This record gives sequence, structure tokens and C-alpha cells, in this order.
Amino acid sequence: MRIGVLWNKLADPKNIPRLFAFSLGIILIVGLIVPMALNPDQLYPRPAPQEQIDEGLAIAPYDRGGEVLVAPGEINPQYPDNAASLGMITGYMSPLAQWISSISPYFGTSIYSSPGGLIDEILYYTRGFDTILESSILMMSFIIASWLSVNYTMNRKNDEDEIKKDFKKAITDSTHVANEVKANDIKARSKQLRRDN
Amino acid sequence: MDFVTLGGDLLGTIPLGDIVLYINPFNLFLFAVLLGFTFLIAISKPETQVEASKFNTLGVAEVKVDEKEFRQRRFLSIICGIASAGAMITGDLFNFTLFMALVGILNIGIVSAVKQTSVLNSAFNYGLIAMMCSLPLFGGAAIILASTGTLSLAVLSQMPASPMVVFGAILMLIGILGESGVAPFFASKAEMFRTPGSPFIVIIHLSSLFIIVRAVEILLLVLW
Repeated sequence: MRIGVLWNKLADPKNIPRLFAFSLGIILIVGLIVPMALNPDQLYPRPAPQEQIDEGLAIAPYDRGGEVLVAPGEINPQYPDNAASLGMITGYMSPLAQWISSISPYFGTSIYSSPGGLIDEILYYTRGFDTILESSILMMSFIIASWLSVNYTMNRKNDEDEIKKDFKKAITDSTHVANEVKANDIKARSKQLRRDN
Repeated sequence: MDFVTLGGDLLGTIPLGDIVLYINPFNLFLFAVLLGFTFLIAISKPETQVEASKFNTLGVAEVKVDEKEFRQRRFLSIICGIASAGAMITGDLFNFTLFMALVGILNIGIVSAVKQTSVLNSAFNYGLIAMMCSLPLFGGAAIILASTGTLSLAVLSQMPASPMVVFGAILMLIGILGESGVAPFFASKAEMFRTPGSPFIVIIHLSSLFIIVRAVEILLLVLW
């Protein structure tokens, strides 16, 4: 194949995601042979797997210890002298979270809660200002993405014709479904009757 | 490689808890230039394109950007400029990838109100790439964190690179390549520019340019 043909194919936006996914896949496959080992000296020290669960802690596996404003939790900051009170609110839980963790042993594994949340490290005050910066960047992206989808993807104020068409389609679809359900119902009943007799 | 070798003498640090922003002439220059461009874009008005739409007659059509769309684009491009400026000066690997992801979303946002199908189509394809990019970007940063135990660039630059760090850096590189739309993944992003409203469209281009420069610096810091 001539290189010109190849370049022309690359100029089509439709082909780009496929090419990208392909090259990403190749790199990920190469990654399988790279020696991987976790460095034990981490910024966020974690207990061994299952350790906290065996101990029966209420917010296992995310119990970081520490008492709010009294004693810091188990953290290992990069620059300890930059924030003296680091880790003081690591153990904070909202009253709701405290109540749920008192009645359920699975609180630490649920993602709606503050401990064991999706972005666990960020929600704890373990890295000083980074806590605020990182989550605000992330929140900004979420806000913009949802704003875009509300205003463009889901906004259908301007295409009334299409809405009408979709209404019609939905109505015929639901009648169709209802008819099918009815037919199935009758079939099942007759089967049951036959079995009973 | 040491960041002093790469970017000139250390002018100072801004300690923010565990993130320490280091300031050297290189980063400061990128940061200031990008903020300057953002300011210029913030005070500018969109251009109007004139299209020779009717073939035989001499009729021309103006392609204008209406008021609402203009405001929205201006807002998104200002945020995009600030996010890229943040990526220029950040001293934390993970924050760099976060800024990068934010820039990707904003780039789609800037062209999302355009009414040309080809532009929207390429924006959609770029969106697919941007979604895929979150895996190599954050995955690369996570692998580097797992193998070195730190995300601070100043500390990372002093560490020798292990095979795992090299793999993490390659993953990050492919994420950056896709997200900023350089060759061979340029087509979807290049097609997005073909629409009126130039000062705001330009920030898409500008942010990827600057981020590539900064990414080269970061990869050199991590790998050497």
C-alpha cells in the first residue's frame, strides 16, 4: 500500500478512535511483560488486604485511625513540614456516615460514603492543599461535562417535530408491547388450563 | 533529569501541603504566556466568516456566532486557558493529568454549539479518544505512583527510572498524544477547528501545543 493512501485514511476522523484504541491495546499488551512491583514506601500507607476485615473494624478496609482534631491518622506525607496539622481530620465522618457505620459492617466498601469513597484519598485531608485542588479540578470537569449534556445532548426544546414523532413511535411501541404481553398471557393461561385438566 | 538543567535556575517554590510548585524561568514563561493569551481571548470578539455559498450567483452568506453561543464559548475558553496554565506550573504528576482531562472536556465543549455536521462529527470522534485517554493518563500516573511511591515531580526527577516507570511514562505519553491530538491522531482534532469564531477556536490549538511542551519536560524529568 502506498503511503499516500495511508495518510488519506488517517485524515478521516472516523478512523482515528479505532487507530488510537488499537495502539493503546498494543501498549497495554506490551505492559503484561513489564515487571511490576509495588513500592512499599507509599504516600498513602495501606494495611495488608483483609487485615482490617478480620479485625472486624466498622469501616474496614479504609480505617485510617486518628481522632478528629486530637490525633493524626496514619499518613505519610511527602513534605511533613509544609502542613503541621496534616491528618488531623483524616478520621472525620459526617453524622450520617457515623450512624450507617454503626449499624452496618459494609460501610467501608460502599462508594456513596465518605470513607472508602470513589476518590478516597482526596476526601481525606491527607495531602494538605492538594485535597482541595485535586477535587476542585475533578469537580470542574464533572460540572462542565454535565452542563454540556444538559444543554446539548438532552436539550430538545428546538426540535418539536422530532418529539412528536418520538411520541407516536413510543405510543405504537407500547401498544405493541401490551398486545404481546396479552398474547403471552393467554397462551400461558391455556397451557395452565391444559395442564390442570 | 534535574529540573534545574531543563528549565533554568530555581526561582522559588510554593509549598501547598504535599504539592510543591517549583518555579523556574521555563515554567513561569509558559504560565505567563498562556495567561496573557487567555486574557486576550477574554476581551476579543468573534470573527464573522463570509462564505460564497451560492455557486452561480455572486451571493455571499455570513456565518455568524450568535450572542448566547459567543458567551458560552468565551467562558469555556477562559476556563480552558486557566486549566492549561495550571498544567504549565503544577508540580504534581496527578494534577497534570487532571488538568489534561479537564482541557479535553473543555475542547469538546467549545465546539459543541456549532451547527456544522462535520465539526460535530469530528468532535464526537475526539470525544471518544478523550474518553479512552483517561485510562492511559490516570493509569500511567498510577503506575508511576505505585513504583516510586510519590507523585511530586521534584522528587521524581531525582529517582532512577525502573522499567515500570518507563512503562507508566509511555502510557502517559500515549494519553497525552491522543488528548492533544498530535500525529497520527490529528484528524479528528484538526477538523474541529473548521468553524467560525476564531479567537475561541484557537485556544483548543494553543492548549494542546503548550501541554505537549510541558509533557516533554515532565517525561524527561521522570525518565532521566
